[in-house]
Amino acid sequence: MKNSDLKELLIRSLDKESDPEKASGKIEEAGVSYRFKEGFRDRVLDRIYSAGDTVVREIEFVRSLNSVFYRIALTGVAAIVLLLISIFIVQGSLSFDSFLGLGNGNDESILCLLTGN
Amino acid sequence: MIKESYKQKSENELLKASLDGDKQAFGEIVTRYQNMVARTVKSMLGDSVFSEDIGQDVFIKLFYSLSEFRGEAKLSTYIQKIAVNLTLNEIKRRKRFFSTFSQKGNNEMYEFEVADYETEEKKEASELVGKALGSLDPKFRIIVAMRMLQGYSTKETAEILDLPLGTVLSRLSRAQEQMKNILRKL
Repeated sequence: MKNSDLKELLIRSLDKESDPEKASGKIEEAGVSYRFKEGFRDRVLDRIYSAGDTVVREIEFVRSLNSVFYRIALTGVAAIVLLLISIFIVQGSLSFDSFLGLGNGNDESILCLLTGN
Repeated sequence: MIKESYKQKSENELLKASLDGDKQAFGEIVTRYQNMVARTVKSMLGDSVFSEDIGQDVFIKLFYSLSEFRGEAKLSTYIQKIAVNLTLNEIKRRKRFFSTFSQKGNNEMYEFEVADYETEEKKEASELVGKALGSLDPKFRIIVAMRMLQGYSTKETAEILDLPLGTVLSRLSRAQEQMKNILRKL
């Protein structure tokens, strides 16, 4: 393809009405192609797996860490809910004092508790 | 060597096998999409060894994010997005580098090496396109690369670049104007 024809093709390929797939095919036919050097795939795989199992294990560790985090978080939420329910049942309310276990107590009983008398 | 059976496998099968640690399955994904990535990266950064490094980084990033791929978009679109992001980051990095350490202009960020071509005509064609792309502003160059070299529609380009359709259309017409001026001088 002549230079002038190629220039025309390049400009026309950017027309809003042009068929981009067809135009890119023609440009490639004219010799404009981009390729990585031979062995690209192997070089990529080497970089990924060069650290061997370490990389894979690292990924697995991160994945399992994520799932463990969710499990722990869910268990924690469930424990908090149970604790709240038990406080409510025992103390009869969910006030700050009942959280501290002072719901039904008074100053004297606390003093007794602290001094042992 | 990739086993023949991998070539027959669907994208989903390859993805699943890759997630299970099958090296050959991921190798097949690389084989299928390496030319697409090469077109994006090399048209944006020029044809040099650094482009290959970015190309490799695209697949490495894909490998590490396989578990995040939900299959809502096509795998090619997902890979293309990674390629575009890494390429634009590299351009930003080069811009920073040149503005700090060099007096060189933007054009010199675009490295262009003409590889061995079958015919002189093809070599000239590649040279012409390389020079034209290298002279374009990167924000127009990416639109041109998507449209002219990858054959994406305006809608697909907008999706890959995360840009509104109107922005892509206006950049496309401005890119065409720039391209006309550049090609006139070449």
